[in-house]
Amino acid sequence: MTAPPVLELRGLRSGYDGIEVLRGVSLSIAAGETVTVVGPNGHGKSTMLRTISGLVPLRQGEIRLDGKPIGPHVHLTAARGIAHVPQGDLLFPGMTVHENLLMGAYLCPDSAEIARRLDEVHSLLPKLADRRSQLVSTLSGGERRMVGIGRGLMMGARILMIDEPSLGLAPLVIEQIYEVIIRMGQSGRTILLVEENPARVADFTDRMYLLDNGEFVWSGAPTELLASDELITAYLGG
Amino acid sequence: MNTFYSVLISGLTVGALYAIASIGLSLVWGALGVLNMAHGALLTLGGYVAYAAITGLGLPTGIGVLAAVLAGAVAGGLIYLLVVRNVLRQGMADFEANVMIATVGIAIALENGILLVFGGQPLKQPVTVDGSMTLGPLVLPWQSLIIMVAAVAAMAVIATALARTRMGRAIRATAQNRDAARLMGVAVDRVYLSVLMISGAVAGGCGLLLSSMVQLSPSLGNDPMLKAFIMCVVAGLGTLPGAVLVSFGLALLEAWVQYAFGARWGFPMLLCAVVVVLIWRPGGLMGRVQVRRM
Repeated sequence: MTAPPVLELRGLRSGYDGIEVLRGVSLSIAAGETVTVVGPNGHGKSTMLRTISGLVPLRQGEIRLDGKPIGPHVHLTAARGIAHVPQGDLLFPGMTVHENLLMGAYLCPDSAEIARRLDEVHSLLPKLADRRSQLVSTLSGGERRMVGIGRGLMMGARILMIDEPSLGLAPLVIEQIYEVIIRMGQSGRTILLVEENPARVADFTDRMYLLDNGEFVWSGAPTELLASDELITAYLGG
Repeated sequence: MNTFYSVLISGLTVGALYAIASIGLSLVWGALGVLNMAHGALLTLGGYVAYAAITGLGLPTGIGVLAAVLAGAVAGGLIYLLVVRNVLRQGMADFEANVMIATVGIAIALENGILLVFGGQPLKQPVTVDGSMTLGPLVLPWQSLIIMVAAVAAMAVIATALARTRMGRAIRATAQNRDAARLMGVAVDRVYLSVLMISGAVAGGCGLLLSSMVQLSPSLGNDPMLKAFIMCVVAGLGTLPGAVLVSFGLALLEAWVQYAFGARWGFPMLLCAVVVVLIWRPGGLMGRVQVRRM
């Protein structure tokens, strides 16, 4: 990696109540890169994203955006150009698909820009245009996931953090969702992905990190990880 | 036939007052998930501020009306800034109960403050409109008409603002998922402050309308606060359109019960309605029943 990092984590420590989940995590992503964090369930992948966006308080360490340290203010995350699509999506169930998407552009004052983003989301995820007036609470799991990703796109963010986009979905829906993520990466966005299955994302990921028990135990090219039976067996139960 | 229309007008007027009182209460519950027990005291404050502005300071009636609304908004804002925000910062556990207890304290302090300044004797609100209009068999007092129009206008403005404005969407988003709203860039602190101020402004205006029908007293807001709470529970806590519809429905029923069986049966009938609804539909008649595909 030669380009300067757009997002950098230095010795991140965080957790819930008395439990420390992240134990000194460091990572850096250059602009336009797609980086995936893999690891077993319950070892801190989602907590890492939630710490970056401020949903989980930072206990120690530093988060740097464009080389400058940022504080853990959740409502400033969007303004800083970071879109977090969390696990479970954190949608607004009593609002329509369209209103959920508009909430993604909450900070955008330009109605022409909002319309442009809506067009982009509808072209990437045409089903959302069909479901425009439907309440989100009545959508299927795959459709809710699409709304979550669409809303993330509506934020116009340069860094997209997506937490387990394939979790609990049918293979066909997973394929559609990864198709969108690949196209977002190709359009120049920086993507930080969390996934349990490295094989699923290896084709379009630039670098991979393996998180185990709150610490990175390996990082490198996806092909290296997939070629190593030792790593797969030891950490991913494969 | 005249009796029928009299009871109808009385029911609609009281219903309009209940509706305005319950809008503010429902708005706060819907957005913050807490019961503002000082809502009744804000009603009282609105009535007294208008009285003080018009009678005490000799200001025009319009300014008095504006002062009532502004006083409610400022008091609502102060309740958030001085109490609710600090309780919220202590952590989410027991947040609802702590806010409820704190706002009971504020209500008592406000009521006693008013008692200290204005005394306990009933006062006549100068903002009244005498006379009536006749439409066939219907004799409609101007005062009742003004209250009904004000109620409809308040409901329309709030409903439109919630549905169509950016702040309205932020309020609804925060009510549905606080963390998700923050991730979208919503400053939840500002949303809560706005909700308490809007609720306070509506309460202030409601207090003024209410005191134009009865007399001013330091406990003016207690009864409407209790009735508004009944309306909100029967409708389903946090559902604005439901609170409005139930306010009119139950007020009409109350008016007919009072006419048919005597005034003392009105309030027990409302309490019975709460009990029946809570057994039949615990979430309220129009409460949020989550339809969620698995």
